[in-house]
Amino acid sequence: MRTWVTILAASASLLLSVAPAWAHHAFQAEFDKGKPVHLTGTVTEMEWINPHSWIHIDVKNPDGTVTNWMVECGSPNIMLRRGFTKRSLEAGTELTVQGYQAKNGTNRANGSSVTFKDGKKIFVGGSNPDIPEDQK
Amino acid sequence: MSTRILLFVTAIASVILPAVWGQVPKTPWGDPDLQGMWPGNMGVPLQRPENLGTRATLTDEEFAKREAQARKQAEADSQSTAASDSVGIGPPSYWVERGTPSRQTSLIIDPPNGRLPPLTAEEQQLRKEARGGKGFAGEWRGEANSYDDLNIYYRCITRGVLGSIIPVIYNNGNQILQSPGLVIIRNEMIHETRVIPLDGRPHLNPAIRQYMGDSRGHWEGNTLVIETTNFTDKDAIGSNGAGYPGDPGHHSADLKLTERLTRVDANTLNYQATIDDPKTWTKPWTILIPLKRNDHYQLLEYACHEGNIAMGDILSGARADESKAPTEPRP
Amino acid sequence: MLNLVHTTIAAGIALALLLPAAAQTYRPPRAADGHADLSGIYQALNTANWDLGDHSPQPGTMWQTGAINSEPAGASVVEGGTIPYKPEALEKKKANFAARRTNDPEAKCYMPGIPRANYMGYPFQIVQSPRGIMFIYEFASANRLVNMGKAEEAGSDTWMGTNNGHWEGDTLVVDVTGLNGLAWFDRAGDFGGKQLHVVERFSRPDPYHLNYEATIEDPTVYTRPWKISMPLYRKVEKSAQLFEFKCVEFVEELLYGQYKKQPNK
Repeated sequence: MRTWVTILAASASLLLSVAPAWAHHAFQAEFDKGKPVHLTGTVTEMEWINPHSWIHIDVKNPDGTVTNWMVECGSPNIMLRRGFTKRSLEAGTELTVQGYQAKNGTNRANGSSVTFKDGKKIFVGGSNPDIPEDQK
Repeated sequence: MSTRILLFVTAIASVILPAVWGQVPKTPWGDPDLQGMWPGNMGVPLQRPENLGTRATLTDEEFAKREAQARKQAEADSQSTAASDSVGIGPPSYWVERGTPSRQTSLIIDPPNGRLPPLTAEEQQLRKEARGGKGFAGEWRGEANSYDDLNIYYRCITRGVLGSIIPVIYNNGNQILQSPGLVIIRNEMIHETRVIPLDGRPHLNPAIRQYMGDSRGHWEGNTLVIETTNFTDKDAIGSNGAGYPGDPGHHSADLKLTERLTRVDANTLNYQATIDDPKTWTKPWTILIPLKRNDHYQLLEYACHEGNIAMGDILSGARADESKAPTEPRP
Repeated sequence: MLNLVHTTIAAGIALALLLPAAAQTYRPPRAADGHADLSGIYQALNTANWDLGDHSPQPGTMWQTGAINSEPAGASVVEGGTIPYKPEALEKKKANFAARRTNDPEAKCYMPGIPRANYMGYPFQIVQSPRGIMFIYEFASANRLVNMGKAEEAGSDTWMGTNNGHWEGDTLVVDVTGLNGLAWFDRAGDFGGKQLHVVERFSRPDPYHLNYEATIEDPTVYTRPWKISMPLYRKVEKSAQLFEFKCVEFVEELLYGQYKKQPNK
């Protein structure tokens, strides 16, 4: 499977799309590249809000204590259009998150990769309304 | 003999009339019907790559390449297990809406080379000197002393008229509703609702300035022509109205925007906009965004400011960097 | 002869007294969909946005602004007078009130939600189209599209809700669900919760007013459903239009000022 970067490089000459330019805000301003995190925890709440949704997860620390982290994902509108709803990610679900911690040192991270225990990505699938019915 | 002439005339008419008149349906009160959901498709750059010269469309071969790339990307997006999900820092890469590729080489159709006309000398100076020499806030440049170091999209203020319709990586919902004497244009980000009166009333007095300006519309045949004035100078042109590097960027308050919306067939609405701002660009320039109908697309609430947790975190993150000690953000 | 005239006059007077007084049932003009046309620009002319209940004149939250931003008196628009809060919810309302300068979502330029958007000190416009009925609010560019077809369910909770409408005669009934419970109902801290459900009724009693009623329920907050009602006033200037009130810029100092490199003193 080609990675994101390879696809972009190939398309550059035809400018299929500009770089993902995650258009809401400068993530580098919010999160610290020098503080990668790898979290495993259970969902306590998912906030389906804009500009970014936030998944709250309880993470068990090595010393047995529990810390609640907030994980930043994308705009919920995309997932809602694919048929997911606010009931799609139930409390208690186990998730694994790879990302980077907030610069301000709080227990917030962006979710570059968010998967279930078995490695499957959350919210993949659903229908894709990008492509109008008559053009699929 | 006369029957043959009649058949000939009918045959010609059935070809010419639809082409000319477009068979645009009418609203119950007789206006051309532009109503529906017309979400934007990303994938056409604003400015044309120079090597494509004055070509407005891709060749079959080039377009086939573009389509193949789109298909591969869609496959990558639908992979159910995570590989390298995101480039650097950002949400998972499949959290986008890419739309379908088109043959257009650039959104700009005039000037004929599909590229922006030069800036005026005055504007170049203004851009250098803005904010005490820091320049206009556009893409984040590593500084977050205050909220206005970020652009008006990151601040969730607005994306401006054009910034709200130039397609980006998601939430490109555009909806048109009509009522006698009015056209409503809704843009998903950032929950804009433009009310365009068609009754010929004058614009607001020049002392009143608004981010989205003040719009007046009228019909020219089947084309809705919208003229917008009374802009502020706090906005920029480009996706998100943010003035990222490479965007057309900041415009003056004197901008006169003329939009022309024509439904060219049942499923296509041509959105054309001419930017006339002699204080900023030496010539007017025009973009064309063909919008495809998709009535399955749900335009959802994008409450940007209400959920803008990032703003507090960006500013407190910058303070933390400066002091090398973590600070608690506001809850 | 005179008797006949007297009798006729007497009969006429009697008849006039018997006829229903001022029964003039106004029939609004028809929209393209054949229903009453509610299109127009409207604004409330009461103090419900300060406080839905009875309220005395009182100082505002900032003495520095003097009489501007002080609260005028007003009578309750709540049927029965008071909102039937559960005891713990009433405590929360009081806490909201005490913290209103910083916590009122209106102060933060958050979208006002339903029902509050309809009675703020800013106008709103109803545009009735064949594809649904738009409510466009000047405050914070808030808006909502009322779906007049088959009712749709909310996929997620939002500030302006999921709005499904239907007609009952010339009255527009809007069923609002999917509200996120974060908006307030006024500057006094009245609020709803995550199970908030609002049913509104809009009708035109005459060319110049819009009658507005809203029945509000949330079993996690109130002991029973309750109702507000008020007239809204149509703007009659030929040039009437909504202006822009994108207030985010006006509240950034309030929300983020403390994080600036050089915070204001």
